Amino acid sequence: MICAGIDAGSRAIKIALIDADNSTIIATDVTDQGVAQENLAKNLFENILKKNSISRKEIGAVIATGYGRNAISFADKTITEITCHAAGVKHFIPDVRAIIDIGGQDSKLIRLNENGCIEDFAMNDRCAAGTGCFLEMVSKKLSLTLHLLGAVAKESKKPASISSMCVVFAETEIVGLMAEQRSPADIVCGVQNAIASRILSMAGRNMPTEIIFTGGVAMINGMDTAIQKTFERPVKISPQPQMTGAIGAAILAIKHYKTTSN
Amino acid sequence: MTPKACKITLDQWNKQYELLCSSGIKQPDYGGTLGRHFEDGDTRLRTLQFDNSAAALRLWNFLLTENERLHKARANGKKIVGTMKDLGTIPVMVYALQNAIAFYPDGAWWTPCIMETNEGLFKITDSLGIDESFCPVRAMLGAFLNEEHFPVADILICSTGAVCDDFSAIAQRLESLGFKINWWEMPHRRKADKNQDSINLPGGFSTPATQIEFVKSELENIRSLLETLTGEKLTDQKLIKVIAKANVVRGLLAELRHIVFTAQINPLPALEMLIAEMLAIHFCSDIGETILVLQDLLKEAKLRIANKEGVSNKNAAKIFWVNPVADLKAMNLLEECGGRVCGTDYLFTHALDTIPTDIAPMEALAQMALADGMAGSSFDRAERICQDIEKFGSEAIIISRIPGASHCAIEGTIIADIVKQRLRIPTLEIEIPTLSDGLQQPIKNRIEALIEVVLQRRQK
Repeated sequence: MICAGIDAGSRAIKIALIDADNSTIIATDVTDQGVAQENLAKNLFENILKKNSISRKEIGAVIATGYGRNAISFADKTITEITCHAAGVKHFIPDVRAIIDIGGQDSKLIRLNENGCIEDFAMNDRCAAGTGCFLEMVSKKLSLTLHLLGAVAKESKKPASISSMCVVFAETEIVGLMAEQRSPADIVCGVQNAIASRILSMAGRNMPTEIIFTGGVAMINGMDTAIQKTFERPVKISPQPQMTGAIGAAILAIKHYKTTSN
Repeated sequence: MTPKACKITLDQWNKQYELLCSSGIKQPDYGGTLGRHFEDGDTRLRTLQFDNSAAALRLWNFLLTENERLHKARANGKKIVGTMKDLGTIPVMVYALQNAIAFYPDGAWWTPCIMETNEGLFKITDSLGIDESFCPVRAMLGAFLNEEHFPVADILICSTGAVCDDFSAIAQRLESLGFKINWWEMPHRRKADKNQDSINLPGGFSTPATQIEFVKSELENIRSLLETLTGEKLTDQKLIKVIAKANVVRGLLAELRHIVFTAQINPLPALEMLIAEMLAIHFCSDIGETILVLQDLLKEAKLRIANKEGVSNKNAAKIFWVNPVADLKAMNLLEECGGRVCGTDYLFTHALDTIPTDIAPMEALAQMALADGMAGSSFDRAERICQDIEKFGSEAIIISRIPGASHCAIEGTIIADIVKQRLRIPTLEIEIPTLSDGLQQPIKNRIEALIEVVLQRRQK
């Protein structure tokens, strides 16, 4: 039996199929998020089944997560991203104690105890300053594509100081820095540091020694370094960081399937 | 007829009202359908889910008819006292007098929430330079000017000092508009120095005797003001009598909180419990009626517990809720997400403690004022929260922030850190704006995540 996890995020919808017998990942896929959220998720689901020659009958359970999870009516159950990301990271790194997930719209910090159980979590509140949205804004302002940001930031000699409190104010700051002819590298690196600072303020005290970094923003070069510097502790990027939520949802779908089919 | 416990919409209340009437319920003079409160366009009430009991109907009708009650009191020649930034001290003094009635203008902070269409209050305050960077209690300023929510008081009494910076700023703006305010000062509560006498306060705090003396002298000034206003002597005997009455209110609330928060199945919704608790600080302009309203709620809660019925699933996650919410919908949301309130600190826990009766009444009131959670350190407040969490067996804590409120800006984080360290339970800090409709999804997401964590912890 196969189980599916769908992570309907603010910027992308991700899907993962996992073999319920041995927990191996069969396939993953991603598509851009849009207005017709349920249709997009449905198409993604049907396409991944087709590509992998799997019939709908072979799917034991589907769990949806992400901010758009409630729009996916064909899911058997919905679970929040906090639980799914923790399950997804634990699949790859069983002894994980701290997870930072930065997505397009929100950021989360999850602490797990020695038994792998979520102990506590924190999420960004109303401002997008600690999220991928901040990087999207700076890439647009500097006419750079998102995937180039990391390479550009690497060239920074003196990262700009940018407010980590508000993306709207920060945009004004960036316009000012551009007018001062600060290099794009210093601006991008400054934004990465601002995001990391925002996450640090959210984290509070008592952070475990190693942090696992996940979410779409983990794929942007340099963000792990910014977090590592700010938190002053090692940061490891989770395998398939963009897929972690969907993988976690699929793992939890296995549990759901086993519980409900018995 | 006792309907099976559940939550219903305002529209469903119309039918429920007919059923209750046909079963012969007795209603007070302010009774009637809940629906009449939105006939003037206050559609916000339509989005809330209410408890379906006659006791809850009485509670809501009592709350929503305060303006009428105040006007009636004035017509009957009573003096109206606006007690501002006061969490349960001056109203007790006022109700010792025959010819006076107290109300809580700060309560207008819920007006924009309850009355969605009435955004005019914030427009007025914006135009006076008090914008959204201030606590939503700024709505009070607009209410003073448009006179639609409460009559202009005969006297305004306001505490300042170690209370709330935002409120003091808003009240000063009010004074600059010609509303005379009689200020009294609250010192920041501290522990006694080595060479000072220390007095134990209700709630488990302590303070130097000199601070009690200072607050007592401030309250004596208020006593003189009230005597001048009403032409009536405010004697200690009268104060002793009213303190006994206030203690009945506090005792009822203590019992209600205890049985509701510790019941296996939650007998009353978080929303009605919040409104009920608020009665402790201002009695909604009628202390006698407050007692009757609370007695009804208590009776209903006991009946539901005996019948093993309630408004939440028996496995609902037990949440301790800190700070009142500007948008009442948040209380409904917690229950929709699978939680229930088991313990609260709505910034006035001291007003739920019994006023000492073995000391002089002014001394007792000074002690109560100094026991205010806001007058002391955040550490003190967190300590008390930890004790209550243990008492009620709460499994997680939600600390809701009030946008712009200066007394909450970092206090939430301090409380969260202390609770985490001491009790190792999950904590969640969320900001609840006055109208949270646009943020319902992210707020819901966070609450759902917290509840998932609580349920997972039960399994391990």
